[in-house]
Amino acid sequence: MNLASLATRNVGRNRFRTALTLLGVAVAVVAFVMLRTVISSMEVAVTHAAHDRIGIRHKVSFVMQLPRRYIDTVRQTPGVHSATWANWFGGKDPRNPREFFPTLAVDPASFLEVYDEVAVSPADRERWLADRQGAIVGDQLARLLRLRVGDTITLSGTIYPGNWVFHVSGIYTATRRSMDRSEFLFHWDYLNNALPERRRDQIGWIIARVDDPSRASGVSAAIDRTFDVQDIQTLSMSERSMNLSFMGMMSGLLAAINAISGIILLILLMLFGNTMSMGVRERTQEYGVLRALGFLPKHIAGFILGEAAALGLAAGVLGLALSYPLVQYGLGRWLEENMGSMVPYFRIETSTAAQALGFSLLLGVASALIPAVRASRLTVTDALRRID
Amino acid sequence: MSSTEESAAAPMVELTHVTKTFHRGAETLTVLDGLSLSIAEGSFEALMGPSGSGKSTLLNLVAGLDRATSGKVRVAGQDLTAMTDGDLAAFRARYIGFIFQSYNLMPVLTALENVELPLLLTKLPSADRKRRAATALRVVGLEDRADHYPRQLSGGQEQRVAIARALVNDPKIIVADEPTGDLDRKSADQILALLEKLNKDFKKTVVMVTHDPEAASHARVTHHLNKGAFQ
Repeated sequence: MNLASLATRNVGRNRFRTALTLLGVAVAVVAFVMLRTVISSMEVAVTHAAHDRIGIRHKVSFVMQLPRRYIDTVRQTPGVHSATWANWFGGKDPRNPREFFPTLAVDPASFLEVYDEVAVSPADRERWLADRQGAIVGDQLARLLRLRVGDTITLSGTIYPGNWVFHVSGIYTATRRSMDRSEFLFHWDYLNNALPERRRDQIGWIIARVDDPSRASGVSAAIDRTFDVQDIQTLSMSERSMNLSFMGMMSGLLAAINAISGIILLILLMLFGNTMSMGVRERTQEYGVLRALGFLPKHIAGFILGEAAALGLAAGVLGLALSYPLVQYGLGRWLEENMGSMVPYFRIETSTAAQALGFSLLLGVASALIPAVRASRLTVTDALRRID
Repeated sequence: MSSTEESAAAPMVELTHVTKTFHRGAETLTVLDGLSLSIAEGSFEALMGPSGSGKSTLLNLVAGLDRATSGKVRVAGQDLTAMTDGDLAAFRARYIGFIFQSYNLMPVLTALENVELPLLLTKLPSADRKRRAATALRVVGLEDRADHYPRQLSGGQEQRVAIARALVNDPKIIVADEPTGDLDRKSADQILALLEKLNKDFKKTVVMVTHDPEAASHARVTHHLNKGAFQ
């Protein structure tokens, strides 16, 4: 026995109360981990954005298009390694009208060059390049829509009305998290040729790979300067900034999740505070005995804070132990399979686990600060309640 | 009976014109009123009196648990009135052994660990602490209950563990506050016999507060208090 073990012995003193507190805090930790994982999974595109890619869009808005010919100018800009383009198609599967997934019209060859993390078998690649109605589908989306190579699928266009027939040329995965595995990618030519003359040769945005990531901002500025004299100006930014601007559209949701996370931390504090206050009040006389034996106020405060730290740590560990099966392998799997376009990688980040454990520990200690100070300030006789 | 018994030994406890007052709102309550007392080293003395007479307050002053409002308190050659709170804590750990009415053992600790508790404040290695705690338990006849928790012991056994705890740091004085108050007669007699043994065989000075004349009869000197003064 030593002073530290003496401090932690009290954790198991009122087992029923401790068990309820541990369970309550663990549930709060699970909720906290889940919400933080929602945020981190949505931020994954920002966090894992490629450093050597820049996005070029219409200066006014994402929804306004650029002339097709801009791609040639971008490719000729010094520092640009390669470039491709894409149009947001906005297709829906009439068989699964509730499912949302990104459908993009792309230039297959240059797209695969710029997005080299797209992993597709050579046979699928050749099939896609050769078939103008061909499409490659992310493995998560393929699972969701139950698509296999060789299938024919008809999508209804929301931006480009009509029924569009595609052949599934291949299923892709990704070697890095910067690529969403729930996209539907098809030939831009197929879209462009089907459009009336006045709508042809318009592209949504350009993505360029630069030779030197450290010069990405300089290349972006050079591209924008080039188009400044044109009738349509551009706004170029890193892939990370581009993804961030997409994230900005969901800022309200993220703010709400952050607020709820804060409320959960407050609940943690109250759960701990209630348990510690009750425990300390019940043991006041014992603290008086310890003081009588020669222990100092700092020892009393240390015992209480040590007990709170042990409780906080135990609750945090229990919460994390529950989080992995519930959040990562339960809810996470379901979300990835059913909402892969919004949360393609629903995994508990190490930083989230560390935050949960850290907050549990810190809030446990914080909740005991006032009881600890009060108990340590009691005179021995008051603590012993002996004033007659 | 008021104590006037003379002793050749140097006083272990010496209180001179000690006053203790408490404030309850606007009211000032004088619990000890200019009280003087001398207790010789190696003595066994009892403090008796009705509730509110000030006997526990007096015991608290002797034990360094509380401070006198005025007057002088010297115990074991130390002037307690001049000490800081930290000094008083160190004084209690070094010179005083406490025995409480309701034993006040830590329920999460075994008998051996409860006895070892005061030694955590020393620099003794763990093995030495355990050896000394086991010796103290042997003195009170509970070496076979070392691994028992307080809930597994009878009231008399709990109080004997508390006595071992009071004894383990080899204090000069044992202060006992109603040590038999919660015990049946047989257990009380065992505890009183043990206190006598500590006094006679281990040369400890014992100061005991009690309501029980039978318990007081074990002391060599009995002081009667009433309204903060000796009768």
